[in-house]
Amino acid sequence: MPLGDFTPLLARPARAGRADGTGAAPPRRRRTGRLSAERLSPFVLIAPAVLVIVLFRLWPLLLGVNFSFTGDGDRNGAAVGLDNYAELFADPLFLGALRNVGWLVLLLPVAVAIPGMLATFIYLHVPGHRFYRSVYFFPAVLSPVIVGSIFNLLLSFDGPVNSLLGLAGLGPVDWLGDSNVAMFTVVGVHVWATFGMSLVVFLSGFATLDPALLDAARSDGATLPQVIRHVIIPGLSRTIQFVFVTTMIGMLTSMFGLIYVMTSGGPGGSTYLPEYYIWIQQGQMNRPAFASAASTVLFLVMLVVGLAQVSFLRRTGKED
Amino acid sequence: MKQRVLWPAAVAAMLALAGCGSATGNEPSSNSASGKLVVWDWKSSDKTATAYVEKAKADFAKKHPGVTVEFVAQPFDQYYTLLGAAIQAGKGPDVMMFNGGGQIRDRVDALVPLDQYVSPDKQRLTGWDAFTKDGKVFASPVTLQGHPIYFNKDLYKKAGLDPQKPATTWSGFTADCAAITKATKATCFALGNKEGAGIQFFLSAFGTGTLSPQEYDDWIAGKRDWNSPHVKQIFQLWKDVEANGLNSKGGNSTTMFTDAFGIFQSGKATNIIGLMSDIGHWKDFNEFLGPDNVGVMKSPVIAEGAVPSLPFDGGIGYGVAKWTKDPALAADLVRSLTSTDALSTFYANAGAVVSDTTVKAAEPAVTSLVADLKTGKPALHVALSSKTLELMGRLSQQILDGSVTVDAALKQLGESDRS
Repeated sequence: MPLGDFTPLLARPARAGRADGTGAAPPRRRRTGRLSAERLSPFVLIAPAVLVIVLFRLWPLLLGVNFSFTGDGDRNGAAVGLDNYAELFADPLFLGALRNVGWLVLLLPVAVAIPGMLATFIYLHVPGHRFYRSVYFFPAVLSPVIVGSIFNLLLSFDGPVNSLLGLAGLGPVDWLGDSNVAMFTVVGVHVWATFGMSLVVFLSGFATLDPALLDAARSDGATLPQVIRHVIIPGLSRTIQFVFVTTMIGMLTSMFGLIYVMTSGGPGGSTYLPEYYIWIQQGQMNRPAFASAASTVLFLVMLVVGLAQVSFLRRTGKED
Repeated sequence: MKQRVLWPAAVAAMLALAGCGSATGNEPSSNSASGKLVVWDWKSSDKTATAYVEKAKADFAKKHPGVTVEFVAQPFDQYYTLLGAAIQAGKGPDVMMFNGGGQIRDRVDALVPLDQYVSPDKQRLTGWDAFTKDGKVFASPVTLQGHPIYFNKDLYKKAGLDPQKPATTWSGFTADCAAITKATKATCFALGNKEGAGIQFFLSAFGTGTLSPQEYDDWIAGKRDWNSPHVKQIFQLWKDVEANGLNSKGGNSTTMFTDAFGIFQSGKATNIIGLMSDIGHWKDFNEFLGPDNVGVMKSPVIAEGAVPSLPFDGGIGYGVAKWTKDPALAADLVRSLTSTDALSTFYANAGAVVSDTTVKAAEPAVTSLVADLKTGKPALHVALSSKTLELMGRLSQQILDGSVTVDAALKQLGESDRS
């Protein structure tokens, strides 16, 4: 029954138009009425899904944006226009957080290349590839708090990593206490903790790669870099695109736990990211409206970065 | 046809749902059913606080037999986030715990002034300043929080120094430190500044040895001159102590809670600016070093004319929410929570220095702490807003790693403090 009703939906108006083109008006009107009900039915059927999105996603989003134009504390609830945004962009801490987002974007190719390279090696059956496959995935099941605690111990000033460096005759590095180093340390740990998932995605991408192409390239005498450059990368362009976008989202939205545990945004605010800033403003400074403004900016940044990435990657995908 | 039946139903459902969606009133309302009070804190789930809570409940039950009291213990690191959400919604607990200083002053809009209810307690309890804003009291103090300088008497003895007579001048103090480091390899200070707490403790502990009494009182009263030579001297000292290798290594990546305390407890550092209550205090140190080895000193004199004292304030206290139905009833519960009986239990079990001046102390370190309470003054950092404290934490880390100068830091702090 539903199928019977559905399939003609698109076909029927056209057919009806042609058949009744010269016919009398009354039957036509009656039929349009019936047809509009039929036309509306798909909208009715998608309504629950749309409603869920509108009610639980878009509506709160709009409330949040609206909230960001109100004040905090003494001015609670009063409209303050763009005051929050003006303050936000005058705050060196927030600008620092945005600069760190810039760093994340710049480091993104590295974060994608690492699982990509490792997946390539596993796919090319380096010795022990089965072992590596499971070992690489292992950190992905650990929670950021546990990962952060482990690396807090490893990277503490008198910790094992610095002891090893000492043995090698290198001076100790304050991995988490030096504002020039801390951000890279945290990003490195984040990549370590999450690349397993991207690796699996890459491996599934390899599963769709035609082995005949590889064999052909090899018999033509292509070297490994040439195989990667001309066969594997074009063949995996969609997978790479997907990993790029998910890794970026992961970096911008799920580093909170690591930052919270490893640096608390320090030293000197050098590892602040917008989400950590939002949390501090809301939770510690008791400024929910100001935090809403920061959230809105983060949302826009994510939107721009995401769209730019997708379009950029789509273009490069086409060139290949 | 099926659609015909479905369509109006769907429209009706849509309207109903949209109606729900737009119902977002922000009217304050109370969820306290008559005869029930809800208390939020982060203490009542601690084993050491169980007896205290029981005593307070029993005291309250005597006065109001029909009223049930429910304690909801929240995790501390989420506490103010959850409380913020409750305040935003205008409903939540009737009675809630606060840290003294910025944390409560930022939220007095949601609280009932308690002066008329707690006036009988004004004399017996001390530490009210930290819970007072614009002359009104918003919570009754439960514990006192202060920042004494603890030292390891054992290390003093090992270096041939007299632990009964710690130095009273900065040069004498650093000379003692140098002697101890030479003899035992222990650094002068255990520093944990990962949370930015190290500078707060440092400012309050050594501020008493640097600012003149007049400057000190002005600072507490809100007349803070961040460009004064003495304030600059404290921050310069913060930098110099690190530069001269007096701190334990990696202070910016060491947590105050609890790695820095661990350094002191294991005898790797001679001094630490600790707390009086909750954590990192004499009771914790006693366990590791033995009660006879835990010494307490006031700041050495750093600048001519300063009169060192013990910096302390009300530590934690209970306030009453504006949305509670019967503020007098809730205030009575606050009074029960600060009764002598309950507080002496809290002192005995948790080792907190409580706000009640009639509770008697026993251990040597506490005895000297309690003796110092009479001359003690409010801590310098508690007078600052949480925004300025947060900024000071970040700048202190940057001073340590050299990315900001003392002058630039003080300029920013002055601006933040004035706004």
